[in-house]
Amino acid sequence: MRWFGRSRRKYRTEWWIMIAGVLIIVLILTMTVFPHVFARFDPNDQDAGGQMTAPSAAHIMGTDNLSRDVWARVVYGARTILGVAIAAALLSAIIGIPLGLLSGFAGGMFDRILSLIMDSVYSFPGLILAIAFAAMLGPGVINITLAVAVVYIPTYFRLVRGQTLSIKEEVYVEAARAIGARRGTILSRYVFPNVIATVVVVLSLNIADAIMTEAALSYIGLGLPAGIPDWGMDLSMGKKFLPSGVWWMITFPGLMIMLLALGFTMLGEGLAEILNPRLLER
Amino acid sequence: MRHLASYILTRFLLAIPMVFIMLTIVFVVLRVMPGDPVNAMLGGHAPQKVIDKKKEELGLNKPIAAQYVDYLGKLARFDLGDSMIFKQKVSQPIIEKLPATIELTLFGLLVSLGLGIPLGASAARRRRSGGDFGIRLYANVVYCIPVFWMGLLLQLIFGIFLGWFPISGRTSPRLEVSSFSKTGFYIIDTLRIGNIGAFGDVMWHLVLPAFTLGIVLSGIFVRLTRANMLDVLKSDYILAARARGIPERRVVYNHGLRNALIPIVTMLGLQFSLLLAGAILTESTFSWPGMGRLLLERIYLRDYPTIQGVIVVYTLVVSAMSLLVDLLYAAIDPRVKY
Amino acid sequence: MKRISALFLVLGFALSVSSVWAQSTLVYGTTDKVTDMDPASAYDFHTWEIFQNVSSGLMAYTPGTTNLVPALATGYTINAAGDEYTFKLRKGVKFSNGTPFTASVVKWNIDRVAKLNGDPAALVTQYVKSVDVVDDYTVKFVLTGPLSYLPALVATPTYFPMDPSVYPVDKIAKDVGELTGGEIVALGPYRLTSFKRDEEAIFEANPNYWGKEPGIKKIIIRYFADATTMRLALEKGEIDLAFKSMNPSDVNDLMKSGKFNAVKIPGPQIRYLCFETSESVFTNKALRQAVAALINRPEINQKVYLGQNAPLYSMIPMGMSYHTDDFKTAWGDGNVAAAEKILKGLGYTKDKPFTFDLWYTPSHYGDPEVNMAEVLKAQLEKTPLVRTTIKSAEWATYKQQFNNKQMPAYFLGWYPDYIDPDDYTSPFAQTEGSKGNGIFFSSKVWDDLFIQEQQTTKDAVRNSTFAKMQKMWTDEVMTAPIYQGNLYVFSKKNVSGVKIGPTLIFNYDQLKLAK
Repeated sequence: MRWFGRSRRKYRTEWWIMIAGVLIIVLILTMTVFPHVFARFDPNDQDAGGQMTAPSAAHIMGTDNLSRDVWARVVYGARTILGVAIAAALLSAIIGIPLGLLSGFAGGMFDRILSLIMDSVYSFPGLILAIAFAAMLGPGVINITLAVAVVYIPTYFRLVRGQTLSIKEEVYVEAARAIGARRGTILSRYVFPNVIATVVVVLSLNIADAIMTEAALSYIGLGLPAGIPDWGMDLSMGKKFLPSGVWWMITFPGLMIMLLALGFTMLGEGLAEILNPRLLER
Repeated sequence: MRHLASYILTRFLLAIPMVFIMLTIVFVVLRVMPGDPVNAMLGGHAPQKVIDKKKEELGLNKPIAAQYVDYLGKLARFDLGDSMIFKQKVSQPIIEKLPATIELTLFGLLVSLGLGIPLGASAARRRRSGGDFGIRLYANVVYCIPVFWMGLLLQLIFGIFLGWFPISGRTSPRLEVSSFSKTGFYIIDTLRIGNIGAFGDVMWHLVLPAFTLGIVLSGIFVRLTRANMLDVLKSDYILAARARGIPERRVVYNHGLRNALIPIVTMLGLQFSLLLAGAILTESTFSWPGMGRLLLERIYLRDYPTIQGVIVVYTLVVSAMSLLVDLLYAAIDPRVKY
Repeated sequence: MKRISALFLVLGFALSVSSVWAQSTLVYGTTDKVTDMDPASAYDFHTWEIFQNVSSGLMAYTPGTTNLVPALATGYTINAAGDEYTFKLRKGVKFSNGTPFTASVVKWNIDRVAKLNGDPAALVTQYVKSVDVVDDYTVKFVLTGPLSYLPALVATPTYFPMDPSVYPVDKIAKDVGELTGGEIVALGPYRLTSFKRDEEAIFEANPNYWGKEPGIKKIIIRYFADATTMRLALEKGEIDLAFKSMNPSDVNDLMKSGKFNAVKIPGPQIRYLCFETSESVFTNKALRQAVAALINRPEINQKVYLGQNAPLYSMIPMGMSYHTDDFKTAWGDGNVAAAEKILKGLGYTKDKPFTFDLWYTPSHYGDPEVNMAEVLKAQLEKTPLVRTTIKSAEWATYKQQFNNKQMPAYFLGWYPDYIDPDDYTSPFAQTEGSKGNGIFFSSKVWDDLFIQEQQTTKDAVRNSTFAKMQKMWTDEVMTAPIYQGNLYVFSKKNVSGVKIGPTLIFNYDQLKLAK
């Protein structure tokens, strides 16, 4: 754990940023796992209180146009958005990383073609791609996860491929090959562990991005069917009542989206600053 | 000159496979969908014979491979096909609405550069101070704000509460667009015929949407500028400039920033993609009649040819922008050999 | 700072320039959309409104009332059997390009509607066997059977005469650009001089109009993507009038503010739940009854529409002849007990509840639609014996799904084609109409009842037939009425002449703008 101590002394601010991020994430994760601890009302209870009442002691975030408790919808909505974002990010990683490893390691025509495809998709505006997929697949949790996942596969591919290419030239890999290690062994024992540190950072930032994409999709109405509490959709619902002075229906879901994305961003950024020097050392 | 031409040609040729790949992906995805668009298009009452005839007319009963070849052939002739829902060429609404999106995106870019670069430079100058930390916090926080939420907040505060700016459309409902609209770029059109009143109206309508896009994406430019500046400020010629006694301000902004900006130009291409994506959400929030809204509307109507056409055009715009940026970079940076 | 003040200067200029237009032009905001600019295909509220202002029919309603008066016709006679109507046409009427209006024009248009078989074609083909030109100014309609309300039918845009040299005879014209000359040529008080789909439509007074000149010479329709923006545009003075469709919260705010003229139009537009009766779970009418019993109309009205509509207990709207409140007496609202009795009798339990998909369409009927689905779902699930899943599809797909019988239960709405209780019943319960609306109900008993009421002109007979039908409806429940809606028109204080009656026809030529 020696590098741990050294890093902490040098990068104090980065540590605090990371810890703040982790705290936010942990808080919201607890919300998803134990929603009933946080929210007294059911998010679909249409008799929770008055219709469109402002935040008060009974309803700290007010009630919406169908008399549902906004705080309850925020708490239960965390599940939806976090679930989709994490699942999508993991899915992208599971597909993108092996492809990147293979491509970087194998080289040649296979690598050239795959890279071209991935670069093309990568340079294309991600949200538009997600919209196209979501529109084609239709509403539903699985569909929206797939739509979001597709966008980020190239991210992992490029990252891992780049790392693989540079590590491939390292001396210790050449040595391994010299002593006759099989390709699979080289990949798993030497290349992969070095790649993984960067992947964790990217995963964290990626989840933040996936959160924003999912929120955007449900805001446009391409996300989940009605009935499942969802921050993006509640935002687009609440928009109608803004000129009537009902500000709480859009403020709180929006704030939560920002907070959650920020949490993962801070975690990712903090990790990046901390882990990077270590990688450089080797 | 010969070298420049071949450089342009190479970059152009490299762009083609990318466009091609995106087109293919789009084509495949759109054919995989469930539901019968032809039946919906004919109002749902049509007898089977009529449906079959329509399918034949649209070429939807041919095998997928044949349809793909048709599709590519048409594209080569710049024919994006016909809308399935309205009797119009797909290119027609696109030509009408593309300028709106481009105007919005360009102004959004201006705002994000105008906010991001100065903030990034000033953060680099005050490295590790409170100001630096504050600016970096701003950059991170602002990127996590959903574009549509930012739009709603700006609408609420500056449009509804303070009433300073309009919150929807490109022009006031009273302004007869047909009186000046020629290219679709209202900024140019109104100036061309000298209608200052209309020009002002158009600019006023651009403010909130451009700031919505610009603020959220300024964070990226803050970080880029700061990072590049930090690198540049460490270099030898900066040290030399300081040693020569040039005031710090000139060192940072004249020598440092100018060199730091060069890498930013390369990133502009990628950022333009982000801007286009954000523009869709902005257009939705501000009822901006651009490509983003067109895409969403046609998705709801299941007008597949138009959806496909829009994505093709997005691909072309992104590629064109990347190409432009590459050329710009080659022109600016004397180190690039062509 | 300098730049900002320059901008303010420019804005000031813009405002002053724009006020010059305001005096002779009215800007009208709406969230509705135009479908096809062709009477042979258009079957929606807004496109019909446009046709009612750019063209005329043989008969027309006095604005704001249900009185039919001769318009392009000067009168008509009916034969003894009641199945032939002969109309005498107004002389000296010309289209804006000089083409004279004659009987052959009438025939050409109606034949075209029948041939092209678009959405509203049934309004012609179901009743009219042929249209014969007797002479230049006399036209005879030969019907499929005796019919009391042909005059009401010829007042619908589907029957309106358009210039034959402009509309393509063999296909439907979706856009104005497809017409010869690029403009609609008809006989109404206004000409449509410019149309940018989803952006604006500009109307100017028609100098060749056969009737009285309109009060306002130029009307611009601005199309809004959403109601909230439209409301704000009205409040900021950017538009003079707003009609269809405001959010209930906006309606409340605008009425309370007192700064605008508010016209409330009770009109017969209804919303109801439909069931697919031939193949879905709802083939068993007992299940339809159970669902209908659970609907709590006052709650829907309050929660979703803030009390602005009226609960409806029959498919025939209030204010129309023969209306009764049979659903109230038969089932009431939120009748969990009655529903559970039926469901338990059919073997459903808490662990094995009755499940089905509930469908709605997100934008065609306005934004609150999804809320209506959510509230109804909560009402249905007040008993643990029912579980529903909410699903949605945009209008184009929604309509397609009628044919494919993909929706067991779905929301629909109805605006009047013609003012008659038949228009609110036969499209759902008569075999032909029921198919077209996705309900697929068919019964000889019902069909006979319809023929009976359609072919008689005796009020007493129609009264008893419709009374019987409404009672039977609470038993068959192929549709369950939910509410009858009110429409609101908001305008600036200097706008007057908004005369929209039960026909829901909006005549722009009645509008006046005070200085």
